[in-house]
Amino acid sequence: MNVTHPRPRTARTAARTAALAAALAAVLLAGTACSSKADGGSTDDAAADGVKSGPGISDKTIRLGALTDLTGPYATLGKSIVQAQQMWADETNAAGGICGREVEIVVKDHGYDVQKAVTAYADIAPDVVALPQVIGSPVVAALLDDIERDHMLTFPQAWAASLLGRDSVQVLGTTYDLDMIAAVDFLTRAKKIAKGDTIGHVYFEGDYGANALEGSEWAAEQAGMKVAGQKIKATDTDLTAQVSALSKAGVKAILISAGPAQTASLAGVAAARGLKVPIVSSAPGYAPQLLKTPAAAALEAMVHVVSAAPAVSSDLPGVKRMVASYQKAYPGEPVDSGVLSGYNAAQLTGADLKKACEGGSLARQDVVKAHRSQKNADTGLGTPQDFTLVTAPASRSTYVLKPDAKAVGGLVGVEEAHKAPGVDAYMAGRG
Amino acid sequence: MTGFLDSLFNGLALGSVYALIALGFVTIFKASGVLSFTHGSLLLLGGYLVAVLHDDLGFAGALAVAVLVTAAVAGVLDRLVLQRVGGSDPHAAHIQTIVTIGIDIVLVTDLARRIGGDLLPLGDPWGDAVTDLGPVTVADSRVAAILVSAVAIGGAFALFRFTPWGLSLRAAAEDREAAALMGVRLTRVRTVAWCLAGGLAALAAVFLVAFPAPGLERTTGQIALKAFPAAILGGMTSPVGALVGSMLIGLTEAFVAGYQSDLHVLGEGFGDVAPYAVMVLVLLVRPAGLFAAKGAARV
Repeated sequence: MNVTHPRPRTARTAARTAALAAALAAVLLAGTACSSKADGGSTDDAAADGVKSGPGISDKTIRLGALTDLTGPYATLGKSIVQAQQMWADETNAAGGICGREVEIVVKDHGYDVQKAVTAYADIAPDVVALPQVIGSPVVAALLDDIERDHMLTFPQAWAASLLGRDSVQVLGTTYDLDMIAAVDFLTRAKKIAKGDTIGHVYFEGDYGANALEGSEWAAEQAGMKVAGQKIKATDTDLTAQVSALSKAGVKAILISAGPAQTASLAGVAAARGLKVPIVSSAPGYAPQLLKTPAAAALEAMVHVVSAAPAVSSDLPGVKRMVASYQKAYPGEPVDSGVLSGYNAAQLTGADLKKACEGGSLARQDVVKAHRSQKNADTGLGTPQDFTLVTAPASRSTYVLKPDAKAVGGLVGVEEAHKAPGVDAYMAGRG
Repeated sequence: MTGFLDSLFNGLALGSVYALIALGFVTIFKASGVLSFTHGSLLLLGGYLVAVLHDDLGFAGALAVAVLVTAAVAGVLDRLVLQRVGGSDPHAAHIQTIVTIGIDIVLVTDLARRIGGDLLPLGDPWGDAVTDLGPVTVADSRVAAILVSAVAIGGAFALFRFTPWGLSLRAAAEDREAAALMGVRLTRVRTVAWCLAGGLAALAAVFLVAFPAPGLERTTGQIALKAFPAAILGGMTSPVGALVGSMLIGLTEAFVAGYQSDLHVLGEGFGDVAPYAVMVLVLLVRPAGLFAAKGAARV
């Protein structure tokens, strides 16, 4: 029989225990120190210059946070946004900063994993004043309550209508449903579809697709058309079966609210099978890399993209300036829509901070208040945005774009931004 | 009718690609009793190699290198990692199965990091060309998928049937201990099985990402999981079962997606779960799978 004897407690083990206890105590102390720092930050203490301070604000710096995806499915997008926002921070600091302070962006990668994102948020939240970038609808959805509680002004890189209605969360531009209403309007005006026709809509499961489908179904009903929906998952990259179903349903046009891979497959398969109908994609459904796939010809021939942001190749002076600076700062890197939307969000954050500073406080609540007072925020990167209505998207105007291999960012403008006719009625109906 | 033929052809093409993967599962399982969860990453590795090499070596050269390298990687993993795990533990195969999950995570993470958010074209010669076969239009890549899979699967069956290695494999699957006592070199048999499965996975990768799919993505490997129900409902130890199971899964998927609008009762997006629903139904009727050897142990 084996018996384990307790080892005699030597001086050495005693010392080790003491060291462990000391280490634990230190960790605990550090913990309280952290929380007291965070608490201290949110009190009403004013800085030397008389501006009320808050989390993420010191006498010398303004710290912003970014919860991004640098290792997951949206890694390309995440990299573009991070670089564009860093470029903005560098430019801003070179011009003297904001409110006499340098701007700093703390970047956390969550790899499109909600759990990691929640941890990352908890990690940076006490030390930042706003989040000019959060990637991923599920990530934003999981953080909504925390963001609202912390009055953390947040610009999500997601456009589902379910994100509206929160004081601290700002969806920039239009939501997915408005984009699809604009898509149906575009197709109708181009005489591609008419009353009595059926339109196909291929959409991702989840908030993105569901919200887009709401828009297309509403617009189709108004116009006396029907929608044949095809729900898919992000892992479905061969849409042959969907195309054959849509072809059977006799669709005259196809809308798609999915990822770039799905748009490429849809256009490629439809063209190959002689289903030569126009395709209109939501903005996240397109990436310039698609023009290197076998479907490139079909994409250029059949696809349009509806987007609240202009093409990167646009002639808008603000966009041209941004593209030139970006190409100088990051030579050889693709200039995609992420660069534009990231830079835009950073500029808007900067404008809010300036306004809050003028009001004498950089505390989070006051930054949100300053943000919500902007009725006509125009960064020169697209349409002006109205942030005063919490329940409505910041803009109701949409651009129509089209793939072009020769253009920067792989897209060129087809129609300037304008509000589709049914949009106001739709918004009124939604309440 | 066109819709029916469309779905039928699609299903056969998908099924034949799944069969390449499922055959790999079955071969490995027969030789070692291990259920390989590394197949997703091996497939991704094969596809990635073709994607990065085709510019320099041409498509055929890149494919040949990819098949050989993936086969070698699979063999090395088995020899250097899996065969050393578990030792004489009666549950060694189960432990090794779990180790394959770990290997998969490591490989996929590294490949995903390399691929990033890109969509990599494989430079295959079929491009987006199509052929009219009577009333249906089919992608050339799909026709190629069926033909190449048929040749590869035929070759694998010939290996099982007519070579000393095939005989050893069948003996090992029947009774490992008895086979070892009869002088069958189990370690070599199973390493060759892993190599074969790796090569088949690399081949499958090409057809999974060729047109109508847009190219290789970081998530491509997940498609390999669709071949799991195929192998399981075929009985896991039967190559013929894997083939039939794959066709069944491919056809189910194509028909459910093709007739999605008529299947509203089952909820939209039923196509994604259909393969698993079929697997459960088949197993309810035949708990050991369609073509399982009598008394086969299943994990």
